[in-house]
Amino acid sequence: MLDDLPVRLDGVVKRYGNRTVLDGVSLEFTPGVTGLLGPNGAGKCAVPGLSGVEMVRYAARLCGLPGTESLRRAHEVLDWCDAGQERYRPVETLSVGTRQKVAFAAAIVHDPRMVILDEPTNGLDPLERRAMLGRLVTLARDHGKTVLVSTHVLPDVQSICDRVIVLARGRVRLTGAIEQLTRPATPAHRLEGDGPLADLARLLTVRGLPARMVDGDESGATGAILLEPPGSDRIGLVWASARDAGVVIRSLEPAARPLEEVFVQTLRDAEAADETSRGAPGQEVAHAAP
Amino acid sequence: MPLHDVGYRPWRGERLGSAAAIGVIALTGIKLAWTSRWLRRMVFFAWSPALVFAMSFFAFEQAIDEGRLVNMREAARAGRNLDGVGMLGTVLADTLGRTPGYAKGTRAVRPAGAPPVDPKIDVADTRRVVWSRLLLAFMRVPQAVLLAVVIGLVAPTLVSRDLRAKAWLVYFTRPVGRLEYILGKAAILGVLVAAITVLPALALWLMGVLVSPSIWVAVDTWDLPLKAVAASVVLAVPTVLLALAYSSATAESRIASFAWFATWAACWIAHSTLTTAAMVAASRQAEVADASGGGQREGRTGSWGEDPFGDLEEDRSVTARQSSSAGGYPGGGLRGRFRWLSKAAGMDPVIDRWAWLSPYHALGVMQAWIFGIETRPQAVVPSLVSLALVSLVAVIVLLNRIDAPTRA
Repeated sequence: MLDDLPVRLDGVVKRYGNRTVLDGVSLEFTPGVTGLLGPNGAGKCAVPGLSGVEMVRYAARLCGLPGTESLRRAHEVLDWCDAGQERYRPVETLSVGTRQKVAFAAAIVHDPRMVILDEPTNGLDPLERRAMLGRLVTLARDHGKTVLVSTHVLPDVQSICDRVIVLARGRVRLTGAIEQLTRPATPAHRLEGDGPLADLARLLTVRGLPARMVDGDESGATGAILLEPPGSDRIGLVWASARDAGVVIRSLEPAARPLEEVFVQTLRDAEAADETSRGAPGQEVAHAAP
Repeated sequence: MPLHDVGYRPWRGERLGSAAAIGVIALTGIKLAWTSRWLRRMVFFAWSPALVFAMSFFAFEQAIDEGRLVNMREAARAGRNLDGVGMLGTVLADTLGRTPGYAKGTRAVRPAGAPPVDPKIDVADTRRVVWSRLLLAFMRVPQAVLLAVVIGLVAPTLVSRDLRAKAWLVYFTRPVGRLEYILGKAAILGVLVAAITVLPALALWLMGVLVSPSIWVAVDTWDLPLKAVAASVVLAVPTVLLALAYSSATAESRIASFAWFATWAACWIAHSTLTTAAMVAASRQAEVADASGGGQREGRTGSWGEDPFGDLEEDRSVTARQSSSAGGYPGGGLRGRFRWLSKAAGMDPVIDRWAWLSPYHALGVMQAWIFGIETRPQAVVPSLVSLALVSLVAVIVLLNRIDAPTRA
């Protein structure tokens, strides 16, 4: 089945004038949600003068759906996107959020195998944003679609993406499963709770389970504790220490590096690598040559 | 939660080919363009010249039916207005002197028992020539001008609006290529061209058939509808491509609109200036020749001020008197007053040397060629080359510009 084959890019080069934005990019996209971090998108687009439903129907017909079927399908997808009665208003008069939904509906109306979305949660309120992310997950997990999301909203990427690709200076700098990329260099657990967390961290360290405060202020009342994985044999020690320190534990889970940290580090590494390659003697000789 | 939300469902129907996208782009474009009140008014107004020309068809066929064609010829040659608008008289005065059947005997198509027309007038040939000239004049003068205006109203927004609103993404992120996009946009204008030129021309022909003495006239003139369609295609191709090229050159439709009208106006002025200059020079040359050679005439190759057909030789003295009062045009004051029609109907014996410079005039020459009225290669070829070049450059600009944002 064609649908089972992954989408593959092999050595893709794209230039705008003298600027190379993709420089030998090779990637493989499998079903699931993939976050693309790096390049800016082109913004939303629509044909002026058409209403929301006409716009979605137009997109369906351009993709080869027959006339009546395209209208039925447009309404069905707009219903799923919760576009409401605003679908009958001209696209240019719609709110940013509704335009976003219409654009999304237009992108999926013909049931594509792969959907590429640029900042799909822009202009949406928190509830709508959550609903939109839910739709992407539904497409990927329930219908086996390959969803590529280009966004700078890293919490969105972390919450719905299975994989992430970081593009910088035209090259793929990082690619892999989110879980793998955000795993800390040293395995650790993160404990969050209410109460004197700094006291708990000190108590755990004294009792033989090294722990330290992260993401908190100097008072030690906020933030979280990063501790060695306690394992089943020492988990009781954690609960006992929390009780002794007067801390109510809200969560205890394997620690992950924030995606933002991974992203920033990747960009810095890319910059440093490029600086090094520019400063290499071979490059200088090449530039000096007539 | 919407009332009818059934969730996301896959779609596994049969998809139409990418060629269907051409029709979709065209239909949607026409629907959007038709929302303009100005366009609706212009298209409606574009049919009104057909009513005026219909009077000429009616008067002509009525004359045949009543056996008055000979009288009509004499009246036309005397400069009388035969249909109230001067067109039929202008065409007839010329045609009956040039009909191939003239002096060869009759080949009339009148029903049996009907009174004869004139043994010297071939009714069928006369009808073909008169109808051709009237159709040509109809397509060259009111319809071509209206077409330029309507295309100027619609075309500038077609591509530029997509560029401004980034709507090109709607097309080029789907299975729509540059060719489908261009053909779809061109089809929008093609439909307008058909509504303004082809359909009224066909309606005129049909009306001519209906008011003629016999329905068999349709068989005699079967090729005229095809020629009208061909003339419209010739009119449409360069104009549509040029208008779309202008539209694709900028995201501001106002600039494209200005460029469109400026092109027609500037080329028209340039053509008129050069033609007038040539006429003045020829006139001076003729005066010098008259003064030195006793006023020998050059026949058909001479300037417009001379009798081009020879059939008016007998009326030379009358013509001379009329010409002096009608700006030097033979065939009476009628032809002088309706010089624009004479030229539009292809009765100007002088080759328009500068027609290739102006799209309007070049298109007119090509249409006259299609109707079989202008057959001189030295008149047709420059216009043909000029229009072909314009079309070619327009296609190159279009192909390069419409997806330029994906490359810029």
